[in-house]
Amino acid sequence: MTAALICEGIEKHLGGKAILCALNLSVAAGEVVSLLGASGSGKTTLLRAIAGLTHPDHGTITLNGAQVFGPNRVIPPEKRQIGMVFQDYALWPHMTVLGNLAFALAPQRLPDAEAQARITHALEVTQLSPLRDRLPAALSGGQQQRVAIARCLASRPQLMLLDEPLSNLDSALREDLRSEMMNLVRREAITVVYVTHDQAEAMAVSDRIAVMRSGEIAQLDRPETLYNAPATPFVASFIGGFSLLHGHGARGMFQAGDAVLNLPAPAGPAVLVIRPEDAHPYGKYPATGLTGRVISAAYQGRCWRLSVSIAGCTIRLDWPCAAETGKDLQFSLPPDRCCILPFDDAPNPKDA
Amino acid sequence: MRRNGSNGTKTALFQCDRRVRFLTTKSAAQLRRTILPRSVALWGSLALVDLAILAVFFLLIVLPLLSVLAQAVMPALFDPKAPGFGIDISALNHALFAPRVLRSILHSLELGAAVAVTATLTGGLFAAMTQRFALPLRAFYAPVPWLVFLTPGYLKAMAWVLLMAPGGYLAQLRVLPHWGSDAFFGLGGLVLVHTLSLFPLPAFIIGSALTGLGQDIEDAARLSGAGPWRIWLRINLPLLLPAIALSMIAIFAEVLSDFGLAATIGRSSGFGVLTYGIYAAASDYPVDFPLAGAQALVLLTLILLVTLGDRLLRRQGALRLISGRSKPSHRRELGAMARWSWAAVIVAIGILAIWLPLGVILVRALTATLGAGLQWSNFTFANFTETLSPRAMALPSLLRSFGYAGLTALIAATIALILAARLDRGGPNLRASVTGLALGTIAIPGIVLGFGYILVWNRLPGFRDWPFPHYGQASLLVTGYVASALPYGLIIILTAVGQLAPSLTDAARLHGHKAAARLVKVVLPLVLLSVISALLLTFIRTIFELPISQLLVPQTGSPVPPYVVRLLGHDDDGLASALALVCMVGAGGIAGLGWRLAQKHLNFTPKERLS
Repeated sequence: MTAALICEGIEKHLGGKAILCALNLSVAAGEVVSLLGASGSGKTTLLRAIAGLTHPDHGTITLNGAQVFGPNRVIPPEKRQIGMVFQDYALWPHMTVLGNLAFALAPQRLPDAEAQARITHALEVTQLSPLRDRLPAALSGGQQQRVAIARCLASRPQLMLLDEPLSNLDSALREDLRSEMMNLVRREAITVVYVTHDQAEAMAVSDRIAVMRSGEIAQLDRPETLYNAPATPFVASFIGGFSLLHGHGARGMFQAGDAVLNLPAPAGPAVLVIRPEDAHPYGKYPATGLTGRVISAAYQGRCWRLSVSIAGCTIRLDWPCAAETGKDLQFSLPPDRCCILPFDDAPNPKDA
Repeated sequence: MRRNGSNGTKTALFQCDRRVRFLTTKSAAQLRRTILPRSVALWGSLALVDLAILAVFFLLIVLPLLSVLAQAVMPALFDPKAPGFGIDISALNHALFAPRVLRSILHSLELGAAVAVTATLTGGLFAAMTQRFALPLRAFYAPVPWLVFLTPGYLKAMAWVLLMAPGGYLAQLRVLPHWGSDAFFGLGGLVLVHTLSLFPLPAFIIGSALTGLGQDIEDAARLSGAGPWRIWLRINLPLLLPAIALSMIAIFAEVLSDFGLAATIGRSSGFGVLTYGIYAAASDYPVDFPLAGAQALVLLTLILLVTLGDRLLRRQGALRLISGRSKPSHRRELGAMARWSWAAVIVAIGILAIWLPLGVILVRALTATLGAGLQWSNFTFANFTETLSPRAMALPSLLRSFGYAGLTALIAATIALILAARLDRGGPNLRASVTGLALGTIAIPGIVLGFGYILVWNRLPGFRDWPFPHYGQASLLVTGYVASALPYGLIIILTAVGQLAPSLTDAARLHGHKAAARLVKVVLPLVLLSVISALLLTFIRTIFELPISQLLVPQTGSPVPPYVVRLLGHDDDGLASALALVCMVGAGGIAGLGWRLAQKHLNFTPKERLS
């Protein structure tokens, strides 16, 4: 597959602060790549740089083989043929649904029949045809989001950028719209860069996820790879409600407080990544047994979510039965699911 | 609305401005890094636009103001025979310590301080009673603050003179003893009429602070066992103190820069204040520009101090309590006795402030002479016939005023729109400097600006012989109108443009629309309602604008405000009343109709969807 979008060495400083640092990203045609990160990690800045709404200080951006930003070349956003679904949808409030689509297509100066066909198609696939004459104010949040997507689809962009497109919707709607939207995008085989701070959303929509941290990509991988083998403690702490048990690796063992686990570990400070669903009864994996004090227990339907304190770290576990607060709990982890990473002294992304 | 009826709008506008979003899309460093030759040319031309923006402000506002300041310290600067750059403080000293000027300064301060107290008390009472208690006769008082706010001061002053003059209506009805009339022409009358004209300002400021307090605070106090009086004294009053202080500052500035009352009641009772002193020195023969400059310098210094006080108070965040979170308060029920007596007080304020003056002007317009009073035989349509007769002076002045005001509104709104669209995407420095200039200009008294226009366009070489605009012609009057209207228009439109989510124009951009298309097709339709509000506000303000009109009366003929004041001075108050009424009805009708139409056709979206 050819790369539809290549960003190389993108740097951006604002007010003396680095927003993007020598960032590289390549997206294949038809691929959906998410930029996942906390607020301030630079994901929206990168998206706006790709769109041309902001200019990096250094680096190049290439779109389908043509450079749109580089040291000797700046193509303004209106000439890049990039579609964007904004967080607030940015529907023009004084135009009907049809008017929004038509105004978006106007600069392309298509023959009437072609423009008409595109609009009709976009309205049909987004099931908006009955609402074509309504003003945005007369639509529900979900319908407005569909208009924003239809507007993008109608202009057949080279690349579609989605800036937290679901964050303004309530959670019940979110999941339905997400699958509906991604089905559409997949069917039209559009290349997509999707910005979100919600890891579950990123997992659900993406072919690959770029986890961003202070202007850099911490890891760029398929969702399964991220989940099963996070590259750094930072990525692990950002994904899937994982907990980190801080300890030391020495002589091929991992040690945290009193607990010694018979697991291959790099020498020096290290963390054990614990996925909540990996907690098993103590006897099941004798080499990786742990004991901790229960801090809290909350019933979650399928299981109990326990917070357990081990060697000063709080570990979240899914447990099949209730556990009494203040008592000790013993559990074990499947060795092949244990992931030990050298500790790079990174602050928790949620504190950043 | 007259030029010096501005601080209420100013207060509202300050609040708007704090919400105005600062948008930085392109820093200068980035621009320099954009190497593509075409874009260099593009940015070059945009920098020219910025220069043009600053040039407009410089010509319209900064240069006249600088001339006034220079005149104050360089007495010979604008001398037609022997101009000189010599700085001479002794002339300033002499002017300042002349007994007449000293008296004017004292009068201005005394009047400002007195009205600050009385108007704040009246307005605060009005706001508290109407917002927090369920009173009957709501229809009689609810529109009063807005009507008072929109009626020019010199018309209210005219009505009160007709009532209180020794041979006026109240004396004829034997309600007013002789000493009452004497007391009116002086500090007492000015305080009374100023209070009744300016109480809407504190009513708005304190009213909005009261809304911000919400009911929760009061409910909490009640649950802790506090009675209603205790709640007002110990809870509401302390929390309202910042709003009260802001009201007093605003009123003080307002009185200092007033020209309408100074030129009517003040002039006829010999109560000289600074604004009238500037006018007299700049336009009464023999003109004394150094004297006018010295008084203008004092006035500007006082206004500057007041504005600084206002800024300091706001910076302390004293008004932070006004949050969106508070629940709106409901109006509390009162006992029958309290209900009706408070309603009577509030209705009385309304009657004195607007209904009575309007009624007096109507009666005077419909009668032949003031002396014959309310006798049946005295009633006639003669004043209206003369106002509308094509051969008399009144109709041409009316048509002239409507023409000038319409032209001013169009020009100011257009410039303001282009400025606002440019500023919204411009650097933060340009934006901050122009917004600061605009807010600063609102505080400049119209009489000072008008004097500056005389200095520049009648005395400054190069400007004196400039064909358009030219001193003594309508073109310069309209230029002055535009200068005094531009800041209001700019702030209204800038606020509206600032409330548009940037994504709306970004989206149009990504779809391939160029800057002009984005302005015309996206920004303009969405701010059109605000543009039209700015247009209508400017129209009404300009029709009734007195100080600049008075100083820059074109040789071709006077617009309405100076003509009305002149008629009053010549005891032709019947015609003055009729002309004022026709003008008010005409301007109000046009503005009301325009507003209705705009509301109906341009309001396609609830505001919160835009942000």
